[in-house]
Amino acid sequence: MIDANLDYIAQESAFRHIHPGTKLFLALGSLILCLISPTPVVPLISGIIMSLVLILPGRLSPAQYGKILLGPAIFIIMSTIVLLFMLGGGNVIWRFQPVPLIDLSITTESVRISTLTLCRVFGCSVSLFFIALTTPMTDLFNSMKRTRVPIELIDLMMIVYRFIFIFYEQAVEIWQAQVMRLGYSRPTEAVRSFSRLCGMLFISSWNAGEDLVRAMDCRCYNGIFPSLDLAEPIKIKSLITVTIYLAALFGILVVMTPGIMVFL
Amino acid sequence: MNIILEARDIRYQYPGNREVIKGISFHIRKGEKIALVGPNGAGKSTLLQMFNGIIRPSSGTMLFDNEPISYDTSSLRKIRKRVGYVLQNSDRQIIAPTVYQDVAFGPANLGYDEQAIRNAVSMALRHVGLEGFERRPPHRLSGGEKKRVAIAGIIAMDPDVLVFDEPTSDLDPSGSEDLMELLDELNQEGKTIIISTHDVELAYPWADRVILLLDGRILQEDVPEVAFGNSKNVRKAHLSVPMLLELSQELGRHGFIQPERKPRSVLDMVHIITNMVNSSYTNTRPGVISVCNVDKECKTPLSVWIESRQNLVIGAMGTRAKQRASQENLALEFTYGVIDKCILRALRGLDSLILTPGSMVNRIFDRVDAYCSESGNEIAVIPMNNSNHNPEPGLIVEGNKESLIN
Repeated sequence: MIDANLDYIAQESAFRHIHPGTKLFLALGSLILCLISPTPVVPLISGIIMSLVLILPGRLSPAQYGKILLGPAIFIIMSTIVLLFMLGGGNVIWRFQPVPLIDLSITTESVRISTLTLCRVFGCSVSLFFIALTTPMTDLFNSMKRTRVPIELIDLMMIVYRFIFIFYEQAVEIWQAQVMRLGYSRPTEAVRSFSRLCGMLFISSWNAGEDLVRAMDCRCYNGIFPSLDLAEPIKIKSLITVTIYLAALFGILVVMTPGIMVFL
Repeated sequence: MNIILEARDIRYQYPGNREVIKGISFHIRKGEKIALVGPNGAGKSTLLQMFNGIIRPSSGTMLFDNEPISYDTSSLRKIRKRVGYVLQNSDRQIIAPTVYQDVAFGPANLGYDEQAIRNAVSMALRHVGLEGFERRPPHRLSGGEKKRVAIAGIIAMDPDVLVFDEPTSDLDPSGSEDLMELLDELNQEGKTIIISTHDVELAYPWADRVILLLDGRILQEDVPEVAFGNSKNVRKAHLSVPMLLELSQELGRHGFIQPERKPRSVLDMVHIITNMVNSSYTNTRPGVISVCNVDKECKTPLSVWIESRQNLVIGAMGTRAKQRASQENLALEFTYGVIDKCILRALRGLDSLILTPGSMVNRIFDRVDAYCSESGNEIAVIPMNNSNHNPEPGLIVEGNKESLIN
């Protein structure tokens, strides 16, 4: 039923065996560098390199990766167009006045800022996708535990994670049953069918909640949710590679930022 | 045998005054295999949930180990440690995001230390044949595998009694057979097993005792041959008479066989028919059943041993034996009902090899012994490594069994 989602890709990733700490270090490191970079070059380089890493040694199919990036891409391209026309400053490059009083113009400053935003979002999204596509949630729970995220929160997250798939499957089943009986053939019918789907899901999640309590009671639940710590130990080699990469990225950032010499 | 669970005039009303259990009394002895059989809505699930105190009867007493169950938190924990309950829907039973965490759930909450938890989990996963699945998330497992995880989660707590609600309801036929075999293995290790089902074909050969439930009352409680033999009651309970039983009843009516002989398995049926037609089996020298304990290292490699024999077929009991067979690329002829099928083969003068986990060795010897003493046939069962010489038929040498188990 569920075969092409992020969790599936993460489970099958070639980087699955690398310690989640190393992967988090890489992703968060490049995320921060992308965010603080005043030039678009650093996030652009970071985004491209990480994408290549995901596709080549990571064995992620480019088509699948493209599909995943498509969602945020549409959103950010639309926002960039708005930014281009909204921001001002600098010289006017292009002006368009369809009717009196409405003046659309693109300036040098608006081009600079929107390019920077576009590249930053690209770099940051790829960093986040890197985690999502290589590290299953189950590995992240352990890292969270180690970084002292409150245990109650992690326990809840684990239960939520477990049940997402059950409810997703159930929703698909109900939806299919409705489609088979032409439940979405007319707009009014579609609204009615969808509301019924939601109602059914609510009832079944209520029942599942009661069953959950029973299942936990059956196994003498006493407030303990065991964790799985079977992750491979941190490998120095991969950690050094990541560190060198981040240092190089930082180097580029320093070189490309004219004013930064003042602080050094 | 000691009584482990007992019900005394149990009644239960759901809120809204619908009475689903209407006065039930029975007892279950240690080490028994019990099938609660009845149509949907007969109250099977409700009754099962009383065994570990999930549901408290409105009146009447449930006793565990001859003590009335008390419903305070600490007593309930004790009961639930000793009576494991496997839900019908394994998706609802599996709580944690990975197989390891789910199986470790019980032991962790019982306060085991880290090492003990690990041991309990690996023991349980080994039992159900899911070693190496520790990091898998449950939504990436098949229906049968999920069921096994759910069972492993209960086995890890090492209960004395295992209660299964409709254990085979969402499994395919071979998955059901594997599961019933696992239940046999657990029973062989001394666990009391109670299942609810409406599958009579499944319950008939498996159970020691059958409790027929209808409309919140016990219709009949007896050994399967008797409980299912009463066609009036069976019809009343919206069930059907098991095929073997129906066949033998019909043969009895036609005067071919004595009606009191009731076969529990194909082997029994063949035995009855053989006697009927006075077959010449006695002239054939029976084949030999060799037994290989997969939990023990063999002196000679399995494949070498098998190649040196002709006309040998191999049967495997339990998941571990099946895994071993697939590791060694052995073609399996029999994967369920293995002992009976090997006896049938031996009767035709042909040899077979049974791969088995250590816990089932005794069962093979017992079953063959029982068959031989009843039928007067003589079939040799020998450990694989000792069978290089040709044994005399009928000699189940004492010590053979020990050499397999130890």
